[in-house]
Amino acid sequence: MVRFLIKRLLSVSLTLFAVSVVSFLMFFALPRDPVTGMCPKNCNAERLERVRQELGLNDPKVEQYAAYMKGIFVGRDLGSAQGGKCEAPCLGYSYVNSEAVTDTLGRVLPVTLSIVIPAAILWLLLGVGLGMLSALRRGTLIDRLAIGFSLTGASMQLYFVGALLLLIFTYQLKIVPVPHYTSILDNPLDWASGLVLAWIALAFLFSAIYARLARAQMLETLSEDFVRTARAKGLAKRTVYGRHALRAAITPLVTIAGLDVGAALGGTVITETTFGIQGLGRTAVYAVRGGDLPMIMATVLIAAVFVVIANLVVDLLYAAIDPRVRLS
Amino acid sequence: MRMRVAAAAALVLVVSAACSKTTEEGEEVDQTRTATGVIATDPKDSLGPAAEVPGATKGGTFTVIRENKISHLDPQRVYSFAGLMNAPLYARSLTAFKDDGKGNLTLVGDLAETPGTNVNKDCKVWEYKVKDGVKFEDGTPITSKEIAYGIARSFDPDLTGGPTYVQEWLADTADYDTKWNFKANKASLPPGLSTPDAKTIKFEFTKPRCDLPFALSLPSSAPLPPAKDTGVNLDNQPFSSGPYKITKHTPGVELVMERNEHWDPKTDPVRHQYPEKFVWKFGPDPDAAANQVIADTGDAAAGLAFNGVPSALVSRVEGDAALKGRTITSPTPSAWRLTINTQHVTDLAVRQALNYAIDRQGFITVYGGTTVASPLTTLMPPATIGYKEYDAYPAGPTGNPEKAKELLAGKTPELVLGIGDDVPELGTQLKTNLEKAGFKITVKTIPADAKLDETKKKDNPWDIWLDQWAADWPSGAAILPVLFDGRSIKAEGNSNTSYFNNDAINAEFDRVLALDPSAQAAEWSKIDERIMKEQAPAVPLFVEVAYYLHGSKAGGIFISSVFGYPAFVNAYVKQ
Repeated sequence: MVRFLIKRLLSVSLTLFAVSVVSFLMFFALPRDPVTGMCPKNCNAERLERVRQELGLNDPKVEQYAAYMKGIFVGRDLGSAQGGKCEAPCLGYSYVNSEAVTDTLGRVLPVTLSIVIPAAILWLLLGVGLGMLSALRRGTLIDRLAIGFSLTGASMQLYFVGALLLLIFTYQLKIVPVPHYTSILDNPLDWASGLVLAWIALAFLFSAIYARLARAQMLETLSEDFVRTARAKGLAKRTVYGRHALRAAITPLVTIAGLDVGAALGGTVITETTFGIQGLGRTAVYAVRGGDLPMIMATVLIAAVFVVIANLVVDLLYAAIDPRVRLS
Repeated sequence: MRMRVAAAAALVLVVSAACSKTTEEGEEVDQTRTATGVIATDPKDSLGPAAEVPGATKGGTFTVIRENKISHLDPQRVYSFAGLMNAPLYARSLTAFKDDGKGNLTLVGDLAETPGTNVNKDCKVWEYKVKDGVKFEDGTPITSKEIAYGIARSFDPDLTGGPTYVQEWLADTADYDTKWNFKANKASLPPGLSTPDAKTIKFEFTKPRCDLPFALSLPSSAPLPPAKDTGVNLDNQPFSSGPYKITKHTPGVELVMERNEHWDPKTDPVRHQYPEKFVWKFGPDPDAAANQVIADTGDAAAGLAFNGVPSALVSRVEGDAALKGRTITSPTPSAWRLTINTQHVTDLAVRQALNYAIDRQGFITVYGGTTVASPLTTLMPPATIGYKEYDAYPAGPTGNPEKAKELLAGKTPELVLGIGDDVPELGTQLKTNLEKAGFKITVKTIPADAKLDETKKKDNPWDIWLDQWAADWPSGAAILPVLFDGRSIKAEGNSNTSYFNNDAINAEFDRVLALDPSAQAAEWSKIDERIMKEQAPAVPLFVEVAYYLHGSKAGGIFISSVFGYPAFVNAYVKQ
């Protein structure tokens, strides 16, 4: 287990290092000159060069990368043009937001987490529950309803479902407030009411897919020999389904869920745009549109961190769920 | 003896102001609205309090909904329209426009007692006296020192984004930060700027700068105590001198401004302090913001969608009397023209034929209709002080292809039309329109992101393209010399994109720019007409029309005659 963990952590570090190098090089490869954001209306070549010098952009790229990484681990002084001392983890300064990138991320990350985590719990409970029920009641009305639900959900787009929910519950019935974010620590009720439509929209679409997957997995598992053996041994239905079949059926779902949650944490652009909430995804989009290079680099890095960590968690969960899997 | 601007008399410059009418069905856009401009000569005009807004009540929270954050809040860096409309709530400048929202503008002293004293009447030395009783949000008095410090810090190259007029005029070069280093000289002032005493601030230029009173109406002349200067970090938490102070700012999410108890209405001729709070909420896209205001619940009931009414919702709003009653609409100073590259199109008859051929009505239809655009036949928009309407090439709303053919005398000029790849439909419309008049048009698309930079290059390959200009203040001086003075043409970064250079016109620019600002307005109109009649370096097309929707409890909003965006100085919440 320890060996496995060390190996995986090394691999995670290597992946993140590669992402950091690529995103850092992107800073120079993109067609937009990072210095233009620092220049006033009548900027000329001499002035651009002066700003470039001040920002250290003429230094060798390796030095610049080392300074960037140093900023992440111990902080660094960005100079007066970039707000002065930047505490670790320092990911640079955003000219668009006029603040350190970490300040922006510190604000938008909780928003994305608040959207994705409750929505993921909802879609997993609903999707897996419905899929299992559908498999166990195969051919019944419940099964047909569940299939109908999943087909409907799988064929819809979030911007449509979201707009529909807004139209009905916010603009027409006026029973749900306009989507917004309040910290759960400040006002849990307001936190929930401000995000509930986003949770429902996300959960509806994702749970539909999970319901179909869970149903298919469960049906396949139920036809396997070990289930038949369990039944033949006279085990109770609850034990056969709950302890043996469910654990085996759920393993592939965990992999997909891990990737989905990791990707969603990296930015739920469409959800955030549909509901007008400023999370990591929208921040990334605005950064690209505004040529906010330090912010682009940071959001790419953060998204990569989420995906990599989600994969690690999935690997660990495998062993917990399925005793046949050994972490070695 | 101090000489005031327009020493003889207040000059009412243009008269055909026909105002927008508010009716039960909402505000009808008056396509002919023009600016009636006055530069105040009587110091009483610069005194507060501002006239009460009929029906206005105190209290409540006024909400403004916008998709993106305001790019800068630091007064020395404010230059976006949202920033310029918001800044007056917390930042006072040396001068300000008294604006009734119907085109009647008066330039008055804001922190200053008057719009300025042209000491030697040559526009080279200007003096301002600071009003008594003006204070910062902490109650400390505002003196000439803090105003001068505010202007001085705009020389700091770290503080990007703001206007650069005053810095360039003081330094007499576009590279003003090389002439005077703010960081190394924080205790002193840039050359030409001085504060003989706590009440007086003086500007001395090497060349006449007759537009200074206008330039000082921008927030970049707002005061700041040196001790409160946090450099680039001031952008998220400016120090207030206006009726509101910033109490909470979460960039990209929310900006909360509450009343500044140290603001004295008796010193302020343009602002009110009706709502308890102003709150900007950032995030919802234009459709979502408009839908919130249409639903008229919660914060949006006393709010405004700052991104306007998206085209998809226009017919719904227009078709619903209750919603239409909550709209504000008005032509803006943002003028569009078909620029003619006079380096390529050297034949005056061809340029005049283009003017006769243009189908403005058809173009506006494709652009989005009359709710978003109003036809224009002049170079300056009607919102310019001194504007005089004329049509140098009367051809009716849809153009006169026959007259154009007559001018072309059998020729079929081949022109390359450069068009942004984001508006190909406008290119198709222009091609169809102009080819009916005998032109042969080749449409070449330009990446939208690059179009502005590319067309500003002197050696660009296009013959005609679309351009837009919105001046920083409603004076011909901020439009005609900028767009048509041939002596300013350089290799790149041109505003004179017609690359038009005419000695007689240039001499006229010099003559008028040397006049006292109050005497300039009528002269700019004459030059406008002369350029079009004698040279036709462009085809005026239309001015953008502002179209906004507010909640049922929001009152006092009007479209700024200066910038064409909603102004908040009179805003109130209906109780």
